[in-house]
Amino acid sequence: MDKSAVICCKRRTFKNGSFLTFAIVPTFGGYLLFALYPNVLSIYYSLLDWNGITKPKFIYFENYVRLFNDRYVWRALGHNLFYMATVPICVILISLVLSYLLTNKGYKGTSIFKVLFFFPNVLSTVVVSLLWAFIYDGSFGLLNALLKLFGIDMNGFYWLGDTRTAMYAVLPPYVWAGVGLYIVIFMNAMTTIPKSLYESAILEGASHMTRLFRITIPLITPLIRVSAIFLVLGTLKSLDLVLILTRGGPAGSTDVIGLYMFNMAFGEQVQNYGYASAIGMFLFFILVSAKLVVDKLLPDRGYEY
Amino acid sequence: MKERRNIIDLFWWLVLIGWSLTILFPIVWDLYESLKTNPEFFQNVWSFPDKLQWANYKKAWLNYHLLNAMLNTLYYVGASLLIGTFLTALNAYALTRIEFKGRKFIWAMIMLSLFLPGINALIPQYILMRDLHLTNSLTGLIVLNCLGESVFFLMLLGGFMRSLPRELEESGTIDGASIFKMFIRIIMPLAMPGIVTVAIFKFIGLYNSFLEPFIYLSDSDKYTIGVNIYHANMLMQYTNDWVTLFAGVIITMIPSVLIFMFFQRWIMEGATLGSVKG
Repeated sequence: MDKSAVICCKRRTFKNGSFLTFAIVPTFGGYLLFALYPNVLSIYYSLLDWNGITKPKFIYFENYVRLFNDRYVWRALGHNLFYMATVPICVILISLVLSYLLTNKGYKGTSIFKVLFFFPNVLSTVVVSLLWAFIYDGSFGLLNALLKLFGIDMNGFYWLGDTRTAMYAVLPPYVWAGVGLYIVIFMNAMTTIPKSLYESAILEGASHMTRLFRITIPLITPLIRVSAIFLVLGTLKSLDLVLILTRGGPAGSTDVIGLYMFNMAFGEQVQNYGYASAIGMFLFFILVSAKLVVDKLLPDRGYEY
Repeated sequence: MKERRNIIDLFWWLVLIGWSLTILFPIVWDLYESLKTNPEFFQNVWSFPDKLQWANYKKAWLNYHLLNAMLNTLYYVGASLLIGTFLTALNAYALTRIEFKGRKFIWAMIMLSLFLPGINALIPQYILMRDLHLTNSLTGLIVLNCLGESVFFLMLLGGFMRSLPRELEESGTIDGASIFKMFIRIIMPLAMPGIVTVAIFKFIGLYNSFLEPFIYLSDSDKYTIGVNIYHANMLMQYTNDWVTLFAGVIITMIPSVLIFMFFQRWIMEGATLGSVKG
Protein backbone atom coordinates (compact mmCIF):
# COMPACT_ATOMS: atom_id res chain seq x y z
CA MET A 1 0.00 0.00 0.00
CA ASP A 2 1.29 3.44 -0.92
CA LYS A 3 1.46 5.21 2.42
CA SER A 4 1.93 8.69 1.06
CA ALA A 5 -1.41 8.64 -0.68
CA VAL A 6 -3.28 7.78 2.46
CA ILE A 7 -4.49 10.63 4.54
CA CYS A 8 -3.79 10.26 8.15
CA CYS A 9 -6.74 11.21 10.25
CA LYS A 10 -6.25 9.17 13.35
CA ARG A 11 -7.19 12.08 15.55
CA ARG A 12 -10.39 12.58 13.64
CA THR A 13 -11.43 8.95 13.48
CA PHE A 14 -14.52 9.47 15.58
CA LYS A 15 -15.80 12.05 13.11
CA ASN A 16 -15.23 9.75 10.18
CA GLY A 17 -17.10 7.01 11.90
CA SER A 18 -20.40 7.42 10.12
CA PHE A 19 -18.76 7.67 6.72
CA LEU A 20 -16.58 4.66 7.32
CA THR A 21 -19.51 2.64 8.60
CA PHE A 22 -21.43 3.38 5.44
CA ALA A 23 -18.44 2.70 3.19
CA ILE A 24 -17.26 -0.52 4.81
CA VAL A 25 -20.11 -2.29 6.53
CA PRO A 26 -22.46 -3.11 3.59
CA THR A 27 -19.80 -4.54 1.28
CA PHE A 28 -17.48 -6.08 3.83
CA GLY A 29 -20.37 -7.32 5.93
CA GLY A 30 -21.99 -8.82 2.85
CA TYR A 31 -18.70 -10.47 1.98
CA LEU A 32 -18.39 -11.99 5.45
CA LEU A 33 -22.01 -13.13 5.43
CA PHE A 34 -22.49 -14.34 1.86
CA ALA A 35 -18.98 -15.49 0.96
CA LEU A 36 -16.80 -16.33 3.96
CA TYR A 37 -19.45 -17.69 6.30
CA PRO A 38 -20.82 -20.21 3.72
CA ASN A 39 -17.27 -21.35 3.06
CA VAL A 40 -16.85 -22.18 6.73
CA LEU A 41 -20.31 -23.70 6.91
CA SER A 42 -19.58 -26.02 4.00
CA ILE A 43 -17.09 -27.89 6.21
CA TYR A 44 -19.78 -28.42 8.84
CA TYR A 45 -22.46 -29.36 6.30
CA SER A 46 -20.23 -32.00 4.78
CA LEU A 47 -20.44 -33.90 8.08
CA LEU A 48 -24.24 -34.00 8.10
CA ASP A 49 -26.92 -36.27 6.78
CA TRP A 50 -29.40 -33.63 5.73
CA ASN A 51 -31.93 -33.10 2.98
CA GLY A 52 -32.53 -29.47 3.93
CA ILE A 53 -35.93 -30.05 5.47
CA THR A 54 -35.73 -32.66 8.22
CA LYS A 55 -33.51 -32.34 11.25
CA PRO A 56 -29.83 -32.65 10.31
CA LYS A 57 -28.02 -35.66 11.67
CA PHE A 58 -24.32 -35.47 12.47
CA ILE A 59 -22.63 -38.47 10.86
CA TYR A 60 -18.95 -37.57 11.09
CA PHE A 61 -17.03 -38.63 7.97
CA GLU A 62 -19.61 -40.97 6.49
CA ASN A 63 -20.18 -38.67 3.51
CA TYR A 64 -16.49 -38.79 2.71
CA VAL A 65 -16.42 -42.58 2.96
CA ARG A 66 -19.39 -42.74 0.62
CA LEU A 67 -17.68 -40.31 -1.73
CA PHE A 68 -14.57 -42.44 -2.05
CA ASN A 69 -16.70 -45.46 -2.86
CA ASP A 70 -18.91 -43.57 -5.31
CA ARG A 71 -17.78 -44.50 -8.78
CA TYR A 72 -19.77 -41.61 -10.27
CA VAL A 73 -17.51 -39.21 -8.40
CA TRP A 74 -14.45 -40.81 -9.93
CA ARG A 75 -16.00 -40.91 -13.37
CA ALA A 76 -16.79 -37.18 -13.08
CA LEU A 77 -13.29 -36.52 -11.82
CA GLY A 78 -11.92 -38.28 -14.89
CA HIS A 79 -13.87 -35.90 -17.13
CA ASN A 80 -12.66 -32.97 -15.07
CA LEU A 81 -9.08 -34.07 -15.56
CA PHE A 82 -9.64 -34.42 -19.28
CA TYR A 83 -11.00 -30.86 -19.59
CA MET A 84 -8.39 -29.55 -17.20
CA ALA A 85 -5.64 -30.99 -19.38
CA THR A 86 -7.08 -29.98 -22.76
CA VAL A 87 -8.92 -26.67 -22.38
CA PRO A 88 -6.03 -24.58 -20.98
CA ILE A 89 -3.55 -25.94 -23.54
CA CYS A 90 -5.87 -25.33 -26.49
CA VAL A 91 -6.84 -21.86 -25.28
CA ILE A 92 -3.27 -20.76 -24.59
CA LEU A 93 -1.80 -22.16 -27.82
CA ILE A 94 -4.52 -20.71 -30.02
CA SER A 95 -4.39 -17.32 -28.30
CA LEU A 96 -0.60 -17.19 -28.46
CA VAL A 97 -0.52 -17.85 -32.19
CA LEU A 98 -3.42 -15.54 -32.97
CA SER A 99 -2.15 -12.71 -30.79
CA TYR A 100 1.34 -13.04 -32.29
CA LEU A 101 -0.14 -12.77 -35.78
CA LEU A 102 -2.22 -9.76 -34.75
CA THR A 103 0.64 -7.89 -33.06
CA ASN A 104 3.54 -8.62 -35.38
CA LYS A 105 2.14 -9.19 -38.83
CA GLY A 106 -0.18 -6.28 -39.45
CA TYR A 107 -2.25 -8.19 -41.98
CA LYS A 108 -5.24 -6.65 -43.66
CA GLY A 109 -8.20 -6.50 -41.27
CA THR A 110 -6.15 -6.76 -38.07
CA SER A 111 -8.25 -4.17 -36.26
CA ILE A 112 -11.45 -6.00 -37.18
CA PHE A 113 -10.00 -9.36 -36.09
CA LYS A 114 -9.03 -7.91 -32.72
CA VAL A 115 -12.59 -6.86 -31.98
CA LEU A 116 -14.26 -9.91 -33.47
CA PHE A 117 -12.06 -12.41 -31.63
CA PHE A 118 -13.07 -10.93 -28.30
CA PHE A 119 -16.77 -10.99 -29.06
CA PRO A 120 -17.59 -14.54 -27.78
CA ASN A 121 -16.35 -13.42 -24.36
CA VAL A 122 -19.24 -11.03 -23.88
CA LEU A 123 -21.82 -13.67 -24.74
CA SER A 124 -23.53 -15.50 -21.90
CA THR A 125 -22.92 -19.18 -21.26
CA VAL A 126 -26.53 -19.88 -22.18
CA VAL A 127 -26.13 -18.30 -25.61
CA VAL A 128 -22.77 -19.99 -26.21
CA SER A 129 -24.16 -23.36 -25.18
CA LEU A 130 -27.29 -23.04 -27.30
CA LEU A 131 -25.32 -21.91 -30.36
CA TRP A 132 -23.12 -24.99 -30.02
CA ALA A 133 -26.08 -27.24 -29.32
CA PHE A 134 -27.46 -26.09 -32.68
CA ILE A 135 -24.13 -26.87 -34.34
CA TYR A 136 -24.05 -30.40 -32.93
CA ASP A 137 -27.70 -31.31 -33.46
CA GLY A 138 -28.25 -34.48 -35.42
CA SER A 139 -31.24 -33.69 -37.58
CA PHE A 140 -30.48 -30.10 -38.53
CA GLY A 141 -27.08 -29.29 -37.00
CA LEU A 142 -24.60 -27.05 -38.75
CA LEU A 143 -21.74 -29.53 -38.35
CA ASN A 144 -23.54 -32.38 -40.10
CA ALA A 145 -24.72 -29.99 -42.82
CA LEU A 146 -21.15 -28.80 -43.41
CA LEU A 147 -19.84 -32.37 -43.51
CA LYS A 148 -22.52 -33.20 -46.03
CA LEU A 149 -21.26 -30.41 -48.28
CA PHE A 150 -17.93 -32.20 -48.30
CA GLY A 151 -19.63 -35.47 -49.10
CA ILE A 152 -19.59 -36.98 -45.62
CA ASP A 153 -23.06 -38.10 -44.62
CA MET A 154 -23.35 -38.58 -40.87
CA ASN A 155 -26.94 -39.91 -41.09
CA GLY A 156 -28.24 -37.52 -38.47
CA PHE A 157 -25.53 -38.30 -35.93
CA TYR A 158 -26.12 -36.57 -32.58
CA TRP A 159 -22.68 -35.39 -31.49
CA LEU A 160 -23.86 -34.55 -27.99
CA GLY A 161 -26.13 -37.57 -27.74
CA ASP A 162 -23.55 -40.28 -28.25
CA THR A 163 -21.34 -41.50 -25.44
CA ARG A 164 -18.40 -41.84 -27.84
CA THR A 165 -18.33 -38.20 -28.94
CA ALA A 166 -20.12 -36.14 -26.27
CA MET A 167 -17.07 -35.63 -24.06
CA TYR A 168 -14.99 -34.32 -26.96
CA ALA A 169 -17.85 -32.23 -28.35
CA VAL A 170 -17.97 -30.18 -25.14
CA LEU A 171 -14.36 -29.11 -25.62
CA PRO A 172 -14.72 -26.70 -28.60
CA PRO A 173 -17.36 -24.47 -26.94
CA TYR A 174 -15.10 -24.13 -23.88
CA VAL A 175 -12.18 -23.07 -26.06
CA TRP A 176 -14.30 -20.93 -28.37
CA ALA A 177 -15.70 -18.93 -25.47
CA GLY A 178 -12.36 -18.55 -23.70
CA VAL A 179 -9.80 -17.63 -26.33
CA GLY A 180 -10.82 -13.97 -26.85
CA LEU A 181 -9.84 -12.76 -23.40
CA TYR A 182 -6.38 -14.33 -23.61
CA ILE A 183 -5.78 -12.92 -27.08
CA VAL A 184 -6.33 -9.44 -25.67
CA ILE A 185 -4.15 -10.14 -22.64
CA PHE A 186 -1.29 -11.63 -24.66
CA MET A 187 -1.51 -8.94 -27.34
CA ASN A 188 -1.23 -6.31 -24.66
CA ALA A 189 1.89 -7.97 -23.29
CA MET A 190 3.43 -8.54 -26.72
CA THR A 191 3.15 -4.89 -27.73
CA THR A 192 5.29 -3.93 -24.73
CA ILE A 193 8.22 -6.06 -25.94
CA PRO A 194 10.76 -3.66 -27.47
CA LYS A 195 11.08 -3.99 -31.26
CA SER A 196 14.87 -3.92 -30.94
CA LEU A 197 14.80 -7.41 -29.45
CA TYR A 198 13.41 -8.77 -32.69
CA GLU A 199 15.65 -6.80 -35.02
CA SER A 200 18.83 -8.77 -34.52
CA ALA A 201 16.86 -11.99 -34.85
CA ILE A 202 15.38 -10.79 -38.13
CA LEU A 203 18.87 -9.84 -39.39
CA GLU A 204 20.03 -13.35 -38.65
CA GLY A 205 17.10 -14.66 -40.62
CA ALA A 206 15.07 -16.16 -37.79
CA SER A 207 11.63 -17.22 -38.95
CA HIS A 208 8.46 -16.05 -37.26
CA MET A 209 8.09 -19.43 -35.58
CA THR A 210 11.56 -19.15 -34.09
CA ARG A 211 10.85 -15.60 -33.00
CA LEU A 212 7.55 -16.62 -31.38
CA PHE A 213 9.03 -19.55 -29.47
CA ARG A 214 12.46 -18.12 -28.73
CA ILE A 215 11.72 -14.48 -28.02
CA THR A 216 8.05 -13.75 -27.49
CA ILE A 217 6.94 -16.70 -25.41
CA PRO A 218 9.91 -16.67 -23.00
CA LEU A 219 9.35 -12.97 -22.41
CA ILE A 220 5.73 -13.37 -21.45
CA THR A 221 6.13 -16.63 -19.51
CA PRO A 222 4.94 -15.13 -16.20
CA LEU A 223 1.72 -14.07 -17.89
CA ILE A 224 1.21 -17.46 -19.54
CA ARG A 225 1.69 -19.05 -16.14
CA VAL A 226 -0.97 -16.92 -14.50
CA SER A 227 -3.28 -17.62 -17.44
CA ALA A 228 -2.68 -21.35 -17.13
CA ILE A 229 -3.52 -21.37 -13.42
CA PHE A 230 -6.59 -19.28 -14.06
CA LEU A 231 -7.76 -21.57 -16.87
CA VAL A 232 -7.08 -24.79 -15.01
CA LEU A 233 -9.01 -23.64 -11.96
CA GLY A 234 -11.79 -22.13 -14.04
CA THR A 235 -12.22 -25.32 -16.06
CA LEU A 236 -12.15 -27.50 -12.95
CA LYS A 237 -14.96 -25.70 -11.22
CA SER A 238 -17.14 -24.77 -14.18
CA LEU A 239 -20.42 -26.57 -14.51
CA ASP A 240 -22.87 -24.28 -16.30
CA LEU A 241 -21.69 -25.00 -19.85
CA VAL A 242 -22.03 -28.76 -19.36
CA LEU A 243 -25.29 -28.29 -17.47
CA ILE A 244 -26.86 -26.47 -20.42
CA LEU A 245 -25.25 -28.47 -23.24
CA THR A 246 -25.75 -32.03 -22.03
CA ARG A 247 -26.86 -31.99 -18.36
CA GLY A 248 -23.96 -34.39 -17.87
CA GLY A 249 -25.38 -36.94 -20.30
CA PRO A 250 -25.66 -39.09 -22.28
CA ALA A 251 -25.32 -41.78 -19.62
CA GLY A 252 -23.11 -39.49 -17.56
CA SER A 253 -20.41 -39.34 -20.22
CA THR A 254 -19.88 -35.59 -19.75
CA ASP A 255 -20.59 -35.34 -16.02
CA VAL A 256 -18.16 -33.17 -14.08
CA ILE A 257 -17.73 -32.91 -10.32
CA GLY A 258 -19.30 -29.48 -10.02
CA LEU A 259 -22.35 -30.68 -11.90
CA TYR A 260 -22.56 -33.89 -9.86
CA MET A 261 -22.50 -31.80 -6.70
CA PHE A 262 -25.13 -29.48 -8.16
CA ASN A 263 -27.39 -32.40 -9.03
CA MET A 264 -26.95 -33.91 -5.56
CA ALA A 265 -28.10 -30.65 -3.98
CA PHE A 266 -30.64 -29.23 -6.40
CA GLY A 267 -31.55 -32.25 -8.50
CA GLU A 268 -35.12 -33.32 -9.14
CA GLN A 269 -34.94 -36.65 -7.32
CA VAL A 270 -32.42 -36.13 -4.56
CA GLN A 271 -31.67 -33.31 -2.19
CA ASN A 272 -28.74 -34.39 -0.14
CA TYR A 273 -27.07 -31.23 1.10
CA GLY A 274 -24.68 -33.09 3.37
CA TYR A 275 -23.34 -35.35 0.67
CA ALA A 276 -23.26 -32.53 -1.90
CA SER A 277 -21.24 -30.41 0.55
CA ALA A 278 -18.78 -33.24 0.98
CA ILE A 279 -18.36 -33.36 -2.80
CA GLY A 280 -17.89 -29.58 -2.71
CA MET A 281 -15.12 -29.95 -0.14
CA PHE A 282 -13.55 -32.65 -2.26
CA LEU A 283 -13.60 -30.27 -5.22
CA PHE A 284 -12.13 -27.54 -3.03
CA PHE A 285 -9.29 -29.87 -2.12
CA ILE A 286 -8.71 -30.75 -5.78
CA LEU A 287 -8.67 -27.08 -6.76
CA VAL A 288 -6.09 -26.23 -4.13
CA SER A 289 -3.88 -29.16 -5.13
CA ALA A 290 -4.26 -28.31 -8.83
CA LYS A 291 -3.05 -24.81 -8.10
CA LEU A 292 -0.03 -26.13 -6.23
CA VAL A 293 0.77 -28.64 -8.99
CA VAL A 294 0.51 -26.06 -11.79
CA ASP A 295 2.59 -23.67 -9.69
CA LYS A 296 5.31 -26.29 -9.41
CA LEU A 297 5.16 -27.57 -13.00
CA LEU A 298 5.39 -24.28 -14.81
CA PRO A 299 8.75 -22.52 -14.71
CA ASP A 300 8.67 -19.34 -12.69
CA ARG A 301 11.46 -17.48 -14.40
CA GLY A 302 10.94 -14.10 -15.84
CA TYR A 303 13.34 -12.42 -18.25
CA GLU A 304 14.38 -8.85 -17.81
CA TYR A 305 14.60 -6.58 -20.77
CA MET B 1 10.69 -3.05 -40.15
CA LYS B 2 8.57 -4.28 -43.02
CA GLU B 3 9.13 -7.74 -44.35
CA ARG B 4 8.12 -9.14 -47.66
CA ARG B 5 4.97 -11.20 -47.74
CA ASN B 6 5.10 -14.75 -49.06
CA ILE B 7 2.89 -17.80 -49.38
CA ILE B 8 3.21 -18.62 -45.67
CA ASP B 9 1.74 -15.23 -44.88
CA LEU B 10 -1.28 -16.16 -46.94
CA PHE B 11 -1.63 -19.29 -44.84
CA TRP B 12 -1.49 -17.34 -41.57
CA TRP B 13 -3.92 -14.78 -42.89
CA LEU B 14 -6.28 -17.63 -43.73
CA VAL B 15 -5.88 -18.88 -40.15
CA LEU B 16 -7.13 -15.51 -38.94
CA ILE B 17 -10.00 -15.61 -41.42
CA GLY B 18 -10.77 -19.17 -40.33
CA TRP B 19 -11.01 -18.24 -36.66
CA SER B 20 -13.24 -15.30 -37.57
CA LEU B 21 -15.51 -17.67 -39.44
CA THR B 22 -15.88 -19.99 -36.46
CA ILE B 23 -17.11 -16.96 -34.52
CA LEU B 24 -19.34 -15.45 -37.18
CA PHE B 25 -20.73 -18.62 -38.68
CA PRO B 26 -22.72 -19.99 -35.73
CA ILE B 27 -24.20 -16.57 -35.04
CA VAL B 28 -25.04 -15.74 -38.65
CA TRP B 29 -26.42 -19.25 -39.10
CA ASP B 30 -28.71 -18.80 -36.09
CA LEU B 31 -29.88 -15.46 -37.49
CA TYR B 32 -30.40 -16.94 -40.95
CA GLU B 33 -32.46 -19.90 -39.75
CA SER B 34 -34.50 -17.69 -37.43
CA LEU B 35 -35.95 -16.02 -40.54
CA LYS B 36 -37.35 -19.24 -42.03
CA THR B 37 -40.45 -21.28 -41.38
CA ASN B 38 -40.06 -24.59 -39.58
CA PRO B 39 -40.77 -26.75 -42.68
CA GLU B 40 -38.28 -24.72 -44.74
CA PHE B 41 -35.72 -25.15 -42.01
CA PHE B 42 -36.18 -28.90 -41.61
CA GLN B 43 -36.18 -29.54 -45.35
CA ASN B 44 -32.85 -27.93 -46.07
CA VAL B 45 -30.81 -25.85 -43.68
CA TRP B 46 -28.98 -24.07 -46.53
CA SER B 47 -31.97 -23.04 -48.68
CA PHE B 48 -33.09 -19.42 -48.82
CA PRO B 49 -36.38 -18.65 -47.10
CA ASP B 50 -39.24 -17.79 -49.49
CA LYS B 51 -40.10 -14.82 -47.36
CA LEU B 52 -38.21 -13.47 -44.36
CA GLN B 53 -40.18 -14.62 -41.33
CA TRP B 54 -39.84 -11.66 -38.97
CA ALA B 55 -42.99 -13.01 -37.32
CA ASN B 56 -40.75 -15.57 -35.59
CA TYR B 57 -39.38 -12.75 -33.48
CA LYS B 58 -42.84 -11.64 -32.46
CA LYS B 59 -43.69 -15.22 -31.64
CA ALA B 60 -40.54 -15.68 -29.55
CA TRP B 61 -41.25 -12.40 -27.78
CA LEU B 62 -44.78 -13.48 -26.89
CA ASN B 63 -44.43 -17.25 -26.44
CA TYR B 64 -41.38 -17.06 -24.20
CA HIS B 65 -42.75 -14.05 -22.28
CA LEU B 66 -39.59 -12.20 -23.16
CA LEU B 67 -41.02 -8.81 -22.20
CA ASN B 68 -41.51 -10.04 -18.66
CA ALA B 69 -38.07 -11.68 -18.67
CA MET B 70 -36.47 -8.48 -19.99
CA LEU B 71 -38.16 -6.40 -17.28
CA ASN B 72 -36.98 -8.87 -14.62
CA THR B 73 -33.47 -8.71 -16.04
CA LEU B 74 -33.62 -4.91 -16.19
CA TYR B 75 -34.64 -4.73 -12.53
CA TYR B 76 -32.09 -7.29 -11.39
CA VAL B 77 -29.20 -6.01 -13.49
CA GLY B 78 -30.09 -2.31 -13.17
CA ALA B 79 -30.47 -2.24 -9.39
CA SER B 80 -27.45 -4.48 -8.75
CA LEU B 81 -25.40 -2.35 -11.11
CA LEU B 82 -26.31 1.06 -9.66
CA ILE B 83 -26.22 0.13 -5.98
CA GLY B 84 -23.33 -2.32 -6.37
CA THR B 85 -21.10 0.05 -8.31
CA PHE B 86 -21.74 2.92 -5.90
CA LEU B 87 -20.98 0.75 -2.88
CA THR B 88 -17.87 -0.66 -4.54
CA ALA B 89 -16.58 2.84 -5.31
CA LEU B 90 -17.26 4.00 -1.76
CA ASN B 91 -15.59 0.91 -0.39
CA ALA B 92 -12.53 1.28 -2.63
CA TYR B 93 -12.17 4.90 -1.51
CA ALA B 94 -12.38 4.06 2.18
CA LEU B 95 -10.00 1.14 1.89
CA THR B 96 -7.34 2.95 -0.13
CA ARG B 97 -7.47 6.57 1.07
CA ILE B 98 -8.50 6.57 4.69
CA GLU B 99 -6.36 5.32 7.51
CA PHE B 100 -8.37 3.62 10.19
CA LYS B 101 -8.01 0.91 12.76
CA GLY B 102 -8.46 -2.59 11.33
CA ARG B 103 -7.87 -1.60 7.72
CA LYS B 104 -5.02 -4.06 7.31
CA PHE B 105 -7.18 -6.79 8.78
CA ILE B 106 -10.00 -6.04 6.34
CA TRP B 107 -7.59 -6.14 3.39
CA ALA B 108 -6.23 -9.47 4.57
CA MET B 109 -9.73 -10.89 4.86
CA ILE B 110 -10.60 -9.68 1.36
CA MET B 111 -7.41 -11.13 -0.08
CA LEU B 112 -8.46 -14.44 1.40
CA SER B 113 -11.18 -14.59 -1.26
CA LEU B 114 -8.48 -15.15 -3.89
CA PHE B 115 -7.84 -18.56 -2.38
CA LEU B 116 -11.48 -19.56 -2.13
CA PRO B 117 -12.90 -21.09 -5.28
CA GLY B 118 -16.41 -20.47 -4.00
CA ILE B 119 -17.98 -23.56 -5.51
CA ASN B 120 -18.08 -25.42 -2.20
CA ALA B 121 -19.98 -22.46 -0.72
CA LEU B 122 -22.82 -22.83 -3.22
CA ILE B 123 -25.01 -25.01 -0.99
CA PRO B 124 -24.48 -23.24 2.36
CA GLN B 125 -25.08 -19.95 0.57
CA TYR B 126 -28.36 -21.27 -0.76
CA ILE B 127 -29.46 -22.42 2.72
CA LEU B 128 -28.45 -19.05 4.14
CA MET B 129 -30.47 -17.21 1.50
CA ARG B 130 -33.39 -19.52 2.19
CA ASP B 131 -33.22 -18.82 5.92
CA LEU B 132 -33.14 -15.09 5.19
CA HIS B 133 -36.19 -15.50 2.92
CA LEU B 134 -34.26 -14.17 -0.04
CA THR B 135 -34.79 -17.09 -2.39
CA ASN B 136 -37.23 -16.98 -5.30
CA SER B 137 -36.90 -13.21 -5.28
CA LEU B 138 -35.17 -10.86 -7.69
CA THR B 139 -34.60 -8.47 -4.80
CA GLY B 140 -32.84 -11.29 -2.96
CA LEU B 141 -30.49 -11.72 -5.92
CA ILE B 142 -29.84 -7.98 -5.92
CA VAL B 143 -28.94 -8.10 -2.23
CA LEU B 144 -26.59 -11.01 -2.87
CA ASN B 145 -24.90 -9.21 -5.76
CA CYS B 146 -24.61 -5.74 -4.21
CA LEU B 147 -23.15 -6.74 -0.88
CA GLY B 148 -19.75 -8.23 -1.31
CA GLU B 149 -16.12 -7.55 -2.08
CA SER B 150 -14.27 -8.12 -5.31
CA VAL B 151 -10.48 -7.95 -5.39
CA PHE B 152 -10.53 -7.20 -9.12
CA PHE B 153 -12.77 -4.15 -8.73
CA LEU B 154 -10.94 -2.94 -5.61
CA MET B 155 -7.61 -3.10 -7.43
CA LEU B 156 -9.04 -1.36 -10.46
CA LEU B 157 -10.72 1.46 -8.54
CA GLY B 158 -8.04 1.62 -5.87
CA GLY B 159 -5.53 2.43 -8.59
CA PHE B 160 -7.61 5.39 -9.70
CA MET B 161 -8.23 6.62 -6.17
CA ARG B 162 -4.58 6.42 -5.20
CA SER B 163 -3.52 8.50 -8.19
CA LEU B 164 -5.63 11.47 -7.05
CA PRO B 165 -3.70 14.27 -5.27
CA ARG B 166 -3.83 14.32 -1.49
CA GLU B 167 -4.70 18.00 -1.37
CA LEU B 168 -8.21 17.11 -2.47
CA GLU B 169 -9.08 15.88 0.97
CA GLU B 170 -6.83 18.20 2.96
CA SER B 171 -8.59 21.32 1.84
CA GLY B 172 -11.50 21.95 4.12
CA THR B 173 -12.33 20.14 7.31
CA ILE B 174 -13.16 16.51 7.12
CA ASP B 175 -16.00 15.30 9.17
CA GLY B 176 -18.55 12.59 8.61
CA ALA B 177 -20.92 14.69 6.56
CA SER B 178 -18.49 16.64 4.44
CA ILE B 179 -16.31 13.66 3.64
CA PHE B 180 -19.38 12.08 2.09
CA LYS B 181 -20.15 15.22 0.10
CA MET B 182 -16.56 15.45 -1.02
CA PHE B 183 -16.67 11.84 -2.16
CA ILE B 184 -19.75 12.49 -4.31
CA ARG B 185 -18.68 15.88 -5.67
CA ILE B 186 -14.94 15.44 -6.15
CA ILE B 187 -13.73 11.85 -5.90
CA MET B 188 -16.49 10.16 -7.90
CA PRO B 189 -16.21 12.46 -10.93
CA LEU B 190 -12.43 12.15 -10.94
CA ALA B 191 -12.54 8.37 -10.71
CA MET B 192 -15.29 8.13 -13.30
CA PRO B 193 -13.26 6.24 -15.93
CA GLY B 194 -12.59 3.51 -13.39
CA ILE B 195 -16.17 3.51 -12.17
CA VAL B 196 -17.49 3.17 -15.72
CA THR B 197 -15.16 0.23 -16.37
CA VAL B 198 -16.38 -1.46 -13.19
CA ALA B 199 -19.99 -0.80 -14.20
CA ILE B 200 -19.48 -2.31 -17.67
CA PHE B 201 -17.92 -5.44 -16.23
CA LYS B 202 -20.67 -5.71 -13.67
CA PHE B 203 -23.23 -5.37 -16.43
CA ILE B 204 -21.71 -8.15 -18.52
CA GLY B 205 -21.33 -10.39 -15.49
CA LEU B 206 -24.86 -9.78 -14.24
CA TYR B 207 -26.56 -10.01 -17.60
CA ASN B 208 -24.75 -13.24 -18.38
CA SER B 209 -25.06 -14.82 -14.94
CA PHE B 210 -26.91 -18.07 -15.19
CA LEU B 211 -26.25 -20.29 -12.21
CA GLU B 212 -27.41 -17.86 -9.50
CA PRO B 213 -30.76 -16.93 -11.07
CA PHE B 214 -31.20 -20.56 -12.07
CA ILE B 215 -30.72 -21.79 -8.51
CA TYR B 216 -32.52 -18.99 -6.68
CA LEU B 217 -35.55 -18.27 -8.85
CA SER B 218 -38.27 -20.91 -8.95
CA ASP B 219 -41.35 -19.07 -10.32
CA SER B 220 -41.28 -18.80 -14.09
CA ASP B 221 -42.61 -15.23 -13.99
CA LYS B 222 -39.46 -14.19 -12.13
CA TYR B 223 -37.00 -15.70 -14.60
CA THR B 224 -34.25 -13.55 -16.02
CA ILE B 225 -33.66 -13.68 -19.76
CA GLY B 226 -30.92 -16.32 -19.61
CA VAL B 227 -32.89 -18.72 -17.42
CA ASN B 228 -35.92 -18.07 -19.59
CA ILE B 229 -34.21 -19.04 -22.83
CA TYR B 230 -32.71 -22.08 -21.12
CA HIS B 231 -36.21 -23.30 -20.26
CA ALA B 232 -37.44 -22.47 -23.76
CA ASN B 233 -34.73 -24.78 -25.07
CA MET B 234 -35.82 -27.49 -22.65
CA LEU B 235 -39.32 -27.32 -24.14
CA MET B 236 -38.03 -28.03 -27.65
CA GLN B 237 -38.32 -31.77 -27.21
CA TYR B 238 -42.11 -31.31 -27.03
CA THR B 239 -42.78 -28.43 -29.40
CA ASN B 240 -40.12 -28.74 -32.10
CA ASP B 241 -40.58 -25.06 -32.91
CA TRP B 242 -36.91 -24.42 -33.54
CA VAL B 243 -37.06 -21.28 -35.65
CA THR B 244 -38.76 -19.46 -32.78
CA LEU B 245 -36.04 -20.57 -30.39
CA PHE B 246 -33.41 -19.27 -32.85
CA ALA B 247 -35.16 -15.91 -32.82
CA GLY B 248 -35.23 -16.02 -29.01
CA VAL B 249 -31.48 -16.64 -28.85
CA ILE B 250 -30.86 -13.67 -31.15
CA ILE B 251 -33.04 -11.43 -28.96
CA THR B 252 -31.10 -12.61 -25.89
CA MET B 253 -27.87 -11.68 -27.63
CA ILE B 254 -28.90 -8.13 -28.58
CA PRO B 255 -28.07 -6.37 -25.26
CA SER B 256 -24.61 -8.01 -25.20
CA VAL B 257 -23.97 -6.94 -28.78
CA LEU B 258 -25.04 -3.36 -28.06
CA ILE B 259 -22.88 -3.08 -24.95
CA PHE B 260 -19.93 -4.51 -26.83
CA MET B 261 -20.43 -2.13 -29.75
CA PHE B 262 -20.60 0.98 -27.57
CA PHE B 263 -18.00 0.09 -24.95
CA GLN B 264 -15.68 -2.14 -26.96
CA ARG B 265 -12.53 -0.13 -26.11
CA TRP B 266 -13.38 0.09 -22.41
CA ILE B 267 -14.08 -3.63 -22.24
CA MET B 268 -10.92 -4.71 -23.99
CA GLU B 269 -8.72 -2.31 -22.00
CA GLY B 270 -10.39 -3.32 -18.74
CA ALA B 271 -9.86 -6.99 -19.54
CA THR B 272 -6.10 -6.51 -19.56
CA LEU B 273 -6.16 -4.57 -16.29
CA GLY B 274 -7.11 -7.74 -14.48
CA SER B 275 -3.99 -9.47 -15.67
CA VAL B 276 -1.52 -6.73 -14.79
CA LYS B 277 -1.34 -8.01 -11.26
CA GLY B 278 0.43 -11.19 -12.17
